[in-house]
Amino acid sequence: MHKAEPYATLELMPAVEISSVTKTFGEVTAVDDLSLSVPEGSVFGFIGPNGSGKTTTIRMIVNIFYPDRGQIRVLGHEMSGARNHLIGYLPEERGLYRKMQVRALLEFFGELRGGRKVGQEVAAWLARLDLAHCATRRVDTLSKGMSQRVQFIAAVVPEPKLLILDEPFTGLDPVSADTLREAILDLRRSGATVILSTHDMTVAETMCDHICMIFRGKKVLDGTLASIQDQYSNDTIRVAVGGGMAVLDDLPGVEKVRDLGQVQELRMALGCDPHEVLRALVERTRVTSFSVAKPSLHDIFVRIAGPAAEEVELA
Amino acid sequence: MRKILLLAKRDYIESVRTKAFIIGLVVAPLLFGGGFLGIAILKKKPDLRDKRIAVLDRTGLVAPPLLRAVAEKNAKDAYDKVTHAQIEALYVLEAVAPSPGDAEEQRLALSNRVRSRELFAFLEIWPRALHPGQETKPAPRTVGYYTNAGGIDATRNWLRDPLNRAVRSVQLAQLGVEGSHFEDLLAPVAIDSLSLLARDPRTGALQQAKKKDDIAEFAAPFGMVMLLTMIVMVGTAPMLSAVTEDKNQRIFEMLLGLATPMELMAARVLAALGRSLTSSAFYIFGAVLVLQGMAMMGAVPLQLLPWFFVYLVADVIMLSSFAAALGAACNSPQDAQNLALVLVAPVMIPFFVMMPVMTAPNSAMATVMSLIPPFTPVLMLLRQSMPVGIPAWQPWVGLVGILLWTVGGTWVAARIFRVGILMQGQPPKLSEIIRWAWAK
Repeated sequence: MHKAEPYATLELMPAVEISSVTKTFGEVTAVDDLSLSVPEGSVFGFIGPNGSGKTTTIRMIVNIFYPDRGQIRVLGHEMSGARNHLIGYLPEERGLYRKMQVRALLEFFGELRGGRKVGQEVAAWLARLDLAHCATRRVDTLSKGMSQRVQFIAAVVPEPKLLILDEPFTGLDPVSADTLREAILDLRRSGATVILSTHDMTVAETMCDHICMIFRGKKVLDGTLASIQDQYSNDTIRVAVGGGMAVLDDLPGVEKVRDLGQVQELRMALGCDPHEVLRALVERTRVTSFSVAKPSLHDIFVRIAGPAAEEVELA
Repeated sequence: MRKILLLAKRDYIESVRTKAFIIGLVVAPLLFGGGFLGIAILKKKPDLRDKRIAVLDRTGLVAPPLLRAVAEKNAKDAYDKVTHAQIEALYVLEAVAPSPGDAEEQRLALSNRVRSRELFAFLEIWPRALHPGQETKPAPRTVGYYTNAGGIDATRNWLRDPLNRAVRSVQLAQLGVEGSHFEDLLAPVAIDSLSLLARDPRTGALQQAKKKDDIAEFAAPFGMVMLLTMIVMVGTAPMLSAVTEDKNQRIFEMLLGLATPMELMAARVLAALGRSLTSSAFYIFGAVLVLQGMAMMGAVPLQLLPWFFVYLVADVIMLSSFAAALGAACNSPQDAQNLALVLVAPVMIPFFVMMPVMTAPNSAMATVMSLIPPFTPVLMLLRQSMPVGIPAWQPWVGLVGILLWTVGGTWVAARIFRVGILMQGQPPKLSEIIRWAWAK
């Protein structure tokens, strides 16, 4: 998997700056006093469980919703719709004019955003995403994966300064997903800022320079992957053992076991000695792999938004 | 503006290329004119079966002249004057003597003959039809007409003239007038409808009154508002389902990243206007051909054409923005179908009051109704196209009302549209839709 290159533009003006923004719908507070800054030229991962306020935040960035309170600056300007021609947006709710031909549709969207003819760019992107043969087909004849790639092209033609992608890899086969990943990283290399909303923690870990997690409308994580993981101690053991999950029951100092298939992840309680865990394991079974690490992004996500966190909060 | 034009161009091209638009263009005149076509066809195929009517004459005097009058009217009306072919049913009267027994039993027997379709109806002529004062208690001068026909019964109307002639002839005879004078005395006087006289302001010559063509006087205003309504509906009717369809296909979120809700709605309205103007070119061209063929171009109030187009544009903007808001509030094609009636209400309500407005275009009801903005385009145009004319200030006041209504209505519709297009799930309640209009 392609590992994102470290970005060198962190100190530049933020591409998006959200300051103390609140958005409510009736009784529900979807976004609660949220502040965040998206560094220009970065791939910014936006994670959080369903209903946490990600899509509402994105919709405010693209000016579909207006904040009740707070301020949003996009590409250095107070958001008023004036910069929309520099923003490419792939919404989670996919939608295309089903009766239009692919090329005509993409040229329409491109011209609508860019204010100029975009025929050549559309042709180049169709070729790049292996859709050139579909240019004259009606959208309603395309497969789901093809439609998704068409929608991606609609978001990147003409080339945007800020690209907002809401779950771009959903429904794509691995080959198409790799092609799209390459395309996103190329856009980043050419100077675009990418906001990537995703539920796929592996995507967030491998592609994003900066990650922000939002939970119940509030920001709960914000930083690079390393800085986020640094907030947690080396409390995770990854082991590969013989004898199945049963041998992992009631290990001293282990408060949670997660089965990843070939590997199991053990979360240690505060003050637990990993050597004690290893000794106990060796006494029970054959250990083929043992490493102590910081928790994965997935694990951090679950710790914040999982059922256990809910219980703690309710208590 | 660039975005509005681009979006409108796409919407317009996509919609006029659909089969639905092309079929609608052809079907709309059939639907609107279907009633008249049906009447014309039915007139060509009349029911020629004899209509038998029993006459129970309790005066002993009216039945013979009535039978004669009916025979004369049959001979005059039932046959084509050129071909002599029968074109209407013959009325066959059967005189029935009052039975000496129970009168109710005789009426029941006759009623049963009507039920068994042996008779179409029966008439009972009471003495009071001749001399109401001779009754012990003065009564209205009526006869009894017993039938199981519906409320609108052409036979009853048909009989009125021969019956009155028969009664009058008996009365005249009783007064001693000779039978040879009856025709002259009983002939009805017709009223010719004439235009007003005028003096030519340039030449000073007197312009004589002309005999009016009743059909043309009715057809011109009626045809004009029919044309207006048809063009407006062709332009705006697809809007409701198109917005709902686009919402279901999740297009709006993509579009909202590129244009504001106001731009999206303005484009939709502009496309509706384009459809209406396209269909108006089609219909007006067709209407001119038809009117020229019928030599009726003179009956068309051409001076109202500017008003026609003002009302057309206003009506399309009003209705299409309303349709866009309704479409945005719908979550499925079924919802849209249910709300279609709400959309056509501003168009259909004027049709319900059209006849009273045509009968008395300057009545208080006609004036008030035509100044209610959603009804102004149809009713004010109808009143303006009536020969009697209306006060000059009224169309202008109506126009101001339309402009205010259109601006206000479009603003509210745009607010509803903005929220509605992103709403999924349960169809919203009316109170929620109203709240959307004021949501931030």
